[in-house]
Amino acid sequence: MFSKILIANRGEIALRVLRACRTLGIGAVVAYSEADRDSLAAQLADEAICIGPADARRSYLSAPAVISAAVVTGCDAIHPGYGFLSEDAGFADVVRAHGLTFIGPPAEVLERFASKEATRRLLEAHGLRTIPGSGMLRDEEHALEEAARIGYPVLIKPSAGGGGKGMRLIRTPHELETSFKVSRSEAKAGFGDDSLYLEKYLEDNRHLEVQVAVDRFGHAIHMGERDCSVQRRHQKIIEETPSPALTDAARQELCARAVRAVVEAGYENLGTLEFLVDAKGDAYFIEINCRIQVEHPITEMCTGIDMVAMQIAIAAGEPLGITQADVVSEGHAIEFRILAEDPGKDFRPQSGQILGYLAPGGPGVRMDTHIYAGYEVPSYYDSLLGKLSVWAPDRSQAIARGDAALRELLVDGITTNIDLHRAILANEVFIDGKVTTNLLDRVGSAPFVAAGNR
Amino acid sequence: MPQDRQGGTAAAGRDAGAAAESPVAGLDARTKRDHKAISRLADDLLPALIAKLAASGLGEIEVRDGDWKARLRKPIGTGDRKAGGRSSVDGQPGHGISAGRSPSAALAHSAGEERDRLAREKAQAEETANLPIVATSPAVGVFQPRKDTAVGMHVRAGDRLGTVDVLGVREDVVAPVDGVIGLSLAEAGEAVEYGQELVRIELPENSRGLAANGADREAAAVLGEA
Repeated sequence: MFSKILIANRGEIALRVLRACRTLGIGAVVAYSEADRDSLAAQLADEAICIGPADARRSYLSAPAVISAAVVTGCDAIHPGYGFLSEDAGFADVVRAHGLTFIGPPAEVLERFASKEATRRLLEAHGLRTIPGSGMLRDEEHALEEAARIGYPVLIKPSAGGGGKGMRLIRTPHELETSFKVSRSEAKAGFGDDSLYLEKYLEDNRHLEVQVAVDRFGHAIHMGERDCSVQRRHQKIIEETPSPALTDAARQELCARAVRAVVEAGYENLGTLEFLVDAKGDAYFIEINCRIQVEHPITEMCTGIDMVAMQIAIAAGEPLGITQADVVSEGHAIEFRILAEDPGKDFRPQSGQILGYLAPGGPGVRMDTHIYAGYEVPSYYDSLLGKLSVWAPDRSQAIARGDAALRELLVDGITTNIDLHRAILANEVFIDGKVTTNLLDRVGSAPFVAAGNR
Repeated sequence: MPQDRQGGTAAAGRDAGAAAESPVAGLDARTKRDHKAISRLADDLLPALIAKLAASGLGEIEVRDGDWKARLRKPIGTGDRKAGGRSSVDGQPGHGISAGRSPSAALAHSAGEERDRLAREKAQAEETANLPIVATSPAVGVFQPRKDTAVGMHVRAGDRLGTVDVLGVREDVVAPVDGVIGLSLAEAGEAVEYGQELVRIELPENSRGLAANGADREAAAVLGEA
């Protein structure tokens, strides 16, 4: 096991990793940017080190800064959290070259799964159904040919993208013509790689993901699925487990197929396989996330597994120590992403000082956040203030607990989406478990915002 | 917030317009209307306006009702400067007037508090002026002062005072201003973080008597060893 881990991330996930380190009895150093000096993780850490200015490219995204910080503080491993350098094969490789361990899949595994397009082909060969799509697009003409073959509507996607960033829905050849160049330059600017591909767009789909863990010895488990269908512009807002869209038999089948495919494809460490499920219930694999997910707490609440601790142990070369039979998922859990966004003003990100903060409590309530009263939310990073997760023996009780906890949660001084969450919880489509990924974008958020203000 | 306020003021304006257009039915009606307008201004509008003015970055608000109008003005120089300052701090001109985002901003508008704020700013400015000037670390890594520098040496802004080794790549520690090398705040070979204070720079007029300073002699020894 490691003796000291550098936490190369910020916000709530830095704190989550710090907690895992403390539980495991491992030392931890929180690496922070100048803008995060006052963050809770930096304050609670036994050791913290400033790695650069607010600009993430010179701090959280700077491999030399992060690795140098690990070296000078005597760490033997680096936890990248999510986002930033967490799925960067080149970074993982350089970390290893400096005699340190990257907490995540080994560099060559990240490399193998780096391209979404190649990953789809790889896992298709290992038994996962994939959405009809194109190869890398050469040019506009090629894009038009491929779109005609696949059939509209299609999504134009950057190969190096993630989290729904840079995707565009195209319904006609004319739209494709006008969007192609823009998408290409956006991909270049956003991800440093302008490769694009097309994918058939499934109307009224649900977004499901299967959580897997594979150790170095090829032992593997799945920890069930999460339903992330409540999205706005491809960004997840609410996640729950288990999915109300799957029967137990369908769930078992999907999860077993997913874990078998990644083991055969040589995956290692924690991973999440994302699927789109169409109206008929067919699940299409879309991508794998080679890191801890934002929404991991709901899986932890149902299984009782500390997934960050598991991730660290796997990276340290330890065997899983449990088999599929040991993984028992009980009850129902829902996570609400608490964002510093103003739903009434087109979800504009908010920054400023948190004047008051009170976390909700009670049975089955968990709050993962780095904020506190007096904390200044910097404007440089994403708008995630924290994650409120609730657990209950069944879905309707989980909804009730969720609503009670959201009512109790107080974030004062900054506009958040708390009321939007309550409005979604009260919506019949959500209560019936029938939310599809396009719901908020199709009906617009306005009815929810209006309901939330009542 | 700003939109709400503007909306409120605009609505009051529309009311006034409507009242002016209505036919004047005679003196009694006019007196009645004046009384109504005055009591409306005093009872309904003024308290709301005072609250709005306090929460806004505006210096003055005026409303009309019938032939009557009320104008509220903040103590001199309060509103405009507040709004200007805030927008430059936020870097979002569009948000400049949304001073209502925090009660502290709204509260800062009584004359007393304004005086306190100015005093604080003055004190802060003086403190800043007296702060020592320091060359800071450009990166996280291992600090090495330049071997051929010593306390008391004159340097120009941009002169290299040492390096921070970042995984074998040296990044320069440079003097931020013209001056004289003063106390070294980190030792050779010490792990330093980004922005860490490394070498003090004394301004030339303050540099007299530097040699008499024991701490600086110690620093000179450290620099000499490196």
